[in-house]
Amino acid sequence: MTAGNLPGLRLHVPEPRFRPGDAVDYSTLVIPPAGAQPRPDEVCAASETHPLCLDLVRVLGDDDRAHGPWNPALDVATLLRMLRLMALTRAFDARMVRAQRQGKTSFYMKSTGEEATSVATAMALAEDDMVFPSYRQQGVFLTRGYPLVDMINQILSNRADKLKGRQLPIMYSARECAIFSISGNLATQYPQAVGWAMASAIRGDTRIATAFIGEGSSAEGDFHSALTFAAVYNAPVVFHVVNNQWAISSFSGFAGAERTTFAARAIGYGIAGLRIDGNDPLAVYAAVRWAADRARANAGPTLIEHFTYRAEGHSTSDDPGQYRSAAERAEWPLGDPVDRLMRHLMALGEWDAERQAAMDAAVDGEVRAAMRAAEANGVLGHGLHHPFRTLFEDVFETLPWHLAEQNAQALHERQVKWPDWSDDADLGDAP
Amino acid sequence: MSRHTFRLPDIGEGIAEAEIVAWHVAVGDVVAEDSPLADVMTDKATVEMESPVAGRVVEVAGEVGDRIAIGSPLVVIETGDGDGEGDREGEGAARILRQAQDERVLEHRAPAVTPEPSVTPNPGPVRAEPIELRAPTPHQSPPAQVTRVLASPAVRARAMDLGIDLARVRPGEDGRVRHGDLDRFIAYNAGGGFAPAGGRRADETVRVIGLRRRIAENMAASKRHIPHFSYVEEIDVTALEAMRGELNAAHATRGRLTLLPFLITAICRVVPDFPMINARYDDEAGVVTRHGAVHLGLATQTPGGLMVPVIRDAQSRNLWQLAQDITRLADAARGGTIAAADMTGSTLTVTSLGPLGGVATTPVINRPEVAIIGPNRIIERPMFVPDGLGGERLAKRKLMNLSISCDHRVVDGWDAASFVQAVRRLIETPSLLLVG
Amino acid sequence: MTGADAAPGRRMTMIEAINDALDVMLARDPMVVVLGEDVGYFGGVFRATAGLQAKHGRTRVFDTPISECGIIGVAVGMGAYGLRPVPEIQFADYIYPGLDQLVSEAARLRYRSAGEFTAPMTVRSPFGGGIFGGQTHSQSPEALFTHVAGIKTVVPSTPHDAKGLLIAAIEDNDPVIFFEPKRLYNGPFNGHYDEPAVPWSRHPDSHVPEGHYRIDLGTARVVRAGEAVTVLAYGTMVHVAREVAERQGIDAEVIDLRTLVPLDIAAIERSVRKTGRCMVVHEATRTGGFGAELAALVQERCFYALEAPVERVTGFDTPYPHSLEWAYFPGPVRIGEAFDRLIAA
Repeated sequence: MTAGNLPGLRLHVPEPRFRPGDAVDYSTLVIPPAGAQPRPDEVCAASETHPLCLDLVRVLGDDDRAHGPWNPALDVATLLRMLRLMALTRAFDARMVRAQRQGKTSFYMKSTGEEATSVATAMALAEDDMVFPSYRQQGVFLTRGYPLVDMINQILSNRADKLKGRQLPIMYSARECAIFSISGNLATQYPQAVGWAMASAIRGDTRIATAFIGEGSSAEGDFHSALTFAAVYNAPVVFHVVNNQWAISSFSGFAGAERTTFAARAIGYGIAGLRIDGNDPLAVYAAVRWAADRARANAGPTLIEHFTYRAEGHSTSDDPGQYRSAAERAEWPLGDPVDRLMRHLMALGEWDAERQAAMDAAVDGEVRAAMRAAEANGVLGHGLHHPFRTLFEDVFETLPWHLAEQNAQALHERQVKWPDWSDDADLGDAP
Repeated sequence: MSRHTFRLPDIGEGIAEAEIVAWHVAVGDVVAEDSPLADVMTDKATVEMESPVAGRVVEVAGEVGDRIAIGSPLVVIETGDGDGEGDREGEGAARILRQAQDERVLEHRAPAVTPEPSVTPNPGPVRAEPIELRAPTPHQSPPAQVTRVLASPAVRARAMDLGIDLARVRPGEDGRVRHGDLDRFIAYNAGGGFAPAGGRRADETVRVIGLRRRIAENMAASKRHIPHFSYVEEIDVTALEAMRGELNAAHATRGRLTLLPFLITAICRVVPDFPMINARYDDEAGVVTRHGAVHLGLATQTPGGLMVPVIRDAQSRNLWQLAQDITRLADAARGGTIAAADMTGSTLTVTSLGPLGGVATTPVINRPEVAIIGPNRIIERPMFVPDGLGGERLAKRKLMNLSISCDHRVVDGWDAASFVQAVRRLIETPSLLLVG
Repeated sequence: MTGADAAPGRRMTMIEAINDALDVMLARDPMVVVLGEDVGYFGGVFRATAGLQAKHGRTRVFDTPISECGIIGVAVGMGAYGLRPVPEIQFADYIYPGLDQLVSEAARLRYRSAGEFTAPMTVRSPFGGGIFGGQTHSQSPEALFTHVAGIKTVVPSTPHDAKGLLIAAIEDNDPVIFFEPKRLYNGPFNGHYDEPAVPWSRHPDSHVPEGHYRIDLGTARVVRAGEAVTVLAYGTMVHVAREVAERQGIDAEVIDLRTLVPLDIAAIERSVRKTGRCMVVHEATRTGGFGAELAALVQERCFYALEAPVERVTGFDTPYPHSLEWAYFPGPVRIGEAFDRLIAA
């Protein structure tokens, strides 16, 4: 086992700094002051952005004011819209977890604490730029105006679910909003977004593509294939790595965070990269707009690391209290995105606690109303589902003989048990 | 007021049970929608279950520390009528969940096939949980196993078609039965009755309902009330068939003529001379109505049984019109689309079994009519015919028997025979039929 | 051949026919793009894309990084945009890094999005052995794809079919794996590796019509009519099986399946019901191979027509060897003995 007097080799297995019950100390985290980061020109050489890959672009300061060259200088109406969309996202998440706890669906994933990464990104893009989301970008759907009822129908897998009950809850598809179908296989959307962007460039289109991934999934080969292709073809694509510190129970160290930042991956591929405060909606907006403008100007792709924190469990199946310190959320030094934007608006004199409370009540009412409307179409597992034949549709464009035979078998099996059953019976009456 | 059973949902992607770690409600408590019910712990997480409805808790599933199965009741809540705001919101969810429970009822209702009680002589306690019941396979005890036959599927298929038990076929030297062995078996056993006529089949009970019951009642009434007599005569239809062939060839577009339109035409021609045949007898009133028009009933076999559609005023129709009427009415009867008006008022009925017509029939009268006429099968037979030189020769002729049954209370044998002879004369000299 | 011989055209190798199909489709449909390792300026390691970049431009025919995951992944995205990408995976042996994108993404995109997005791509890939490619340049992984719901799998055996099938595949709105038997690129291989090679120019099926024509996916072709035995084969083995039948004087009906999914089950049933005897042949390893599927289908649907057990003639369950290539290959002896067993049964 040993050769001479060489020291024995040691395997390093990363370990997060805080486990359940531990006190939390984030003082070693380097948080630069807001407004201190330079903003290069959108069509600069990629290398000019590389210092920013190890920095942290911030706009909203501790004084709740916007600072520095990255300040997007949004008007109040836009800021209020941003705040409302983030609050709506939060209210939606809360209601959907309740629905799961009440047995109306099987599964849900909240985006609490990460609302800025999706809402501000969607607002900074053109409406028809193509988004390839991962599973925690409900804010993009809400910002693009995808109907709440359609989202809930999908979550409940009911008879009105456009996806015919085929997908796990939250794996939406919204072509009319230029949002790609969500996959449960991680990172696959990354090269797909590059392909879409390449196609857009091949066709001389003006639309760009954008893709989301978590820091944990950035370890997948697809991530690196995507960055290689994007760099090679200078594809008009904006990559987001939402670094929320946790991949289920594995901390970011298992994706390489102990060695460098995720934005720094851009340096190796020679593309533009930005590391931003993901809980600062203005920084998110400014960075995404910068990268989108860069892509649209044929100046190439950008990798943006949204440095944020997953404030809740990975999903309704997960209990983060078993592997991380409960104090992390409260101690997170970059705060909460909804709270920060609210305080910014208050500092501008455009907002107050009363209006905030009214808005929270309004978005909650909006979600409740949508929930009621969706529940009228049925809830998961309670009979009102799509016809059995839809099991066999869309495997191919047309039904080949073997699927036609299997379709007949499925109907037959049901009728063995219930002779009077017809394939449309479980659709129920229209509400 | 209704009861909502909150079953423990699968909160962790495929878990089987969960432990109750805390109760937030007790029996008798009033809960609001979304308020906490209990904390349950799975091997993945501890989660708080919330109430989907507002109401009063009437049952809880167990104690802290109990493990309960996914899908089993956690809490039963009596829901209110929905007079408050919160209640109204609860109502929407409650309605859906009630619907959901209805769906469960649907799932749980008696399966299509229930087992014979004798299968489970000691069924034990009744199970509340749904179980998929299978009918016991009514298998016969396997035949005493002799030797297993070696044969290819193709040889087996052929033996199956022929009804041959392969075990009785002598195989080749290697023990396998091949097609050649089967050939030899068949050749050797030909005429020897190697196979029984068939296997025993299970008894069947068929309820006599609907059309079948009506037919049964009508036929019984006819036979009970009417003293039938039948008369059969042989008719040479050689000339008629020749003429029919010529007409069909010459007027292909008008539709094909069968023998029936000719027979009906002949009957209609003759009826004025035999009014007692085309009549209806009201035996309770004691009145025979001899009809001036021939409303001709056509006994027709349909999937449901015998039906008798009616050609109204058959005497006023020509050959092709009759042919069209026959087709139309038969199709409508078989297709179940016939109008009630086309099924009533016949004065005389013809029944034809076509190629199954047989040598003679003794049809049952369609009461209250007094006669029914049945043409039989046409066959070719050698006959002595005049040779034109005063002698006779053998000739191939087409012959058809015509049967008639009459109500002897109002039709005499003489009348029936004379009527049939008149019809026969017309048919054997068919050119007379075409003379208006 | 439905009159194809009469159509204007010329004799081609399978490589030329594939090149011609790509050329026709690039010219005909601006949404078609060809991408893959070395397919651009150089024209592909087997020359299948030679001249296409010069003719159709660098944004229609281009080289890619060496990343099968990336190639298939970007093709999914291109398909979502509306293009009809025709990615080449340089050897079927290299397709595995792209498998997740094929199996989890391309194959299920239409289904999971209920038709909102589709993956109308045709993945071309040289496959099969007999060229001394060793274990990394000889595999036949078709069964991995026939097992996946939502993918069509095509294997041509002649230049004429290669062009018509490739055009149909590119025009298909579902993802298609198009496996090109390398051993057939330049001539119809009859299995006698120790005899002089025969060029396509001496084979009637090398007559390739000009321009656009389709051979619908899911249609098999009776290559040789016969009454005694049905042979189900595809790719290289079509030629090998036919040659064995000729030399042994067996009245075999050889059916070239051409498409494995969707399968022309009617043609199979028609033939097996007639002959009562069936052999399935493929070059891929035996266990879990597509031949197992064929044998199962034949016994399910033609059981009482069978006079003999279905014979399965395949490669061995080993990696594809280099020096012992012909020991692995299901050649004339293996096929011939299977014929003998079928006829004797």
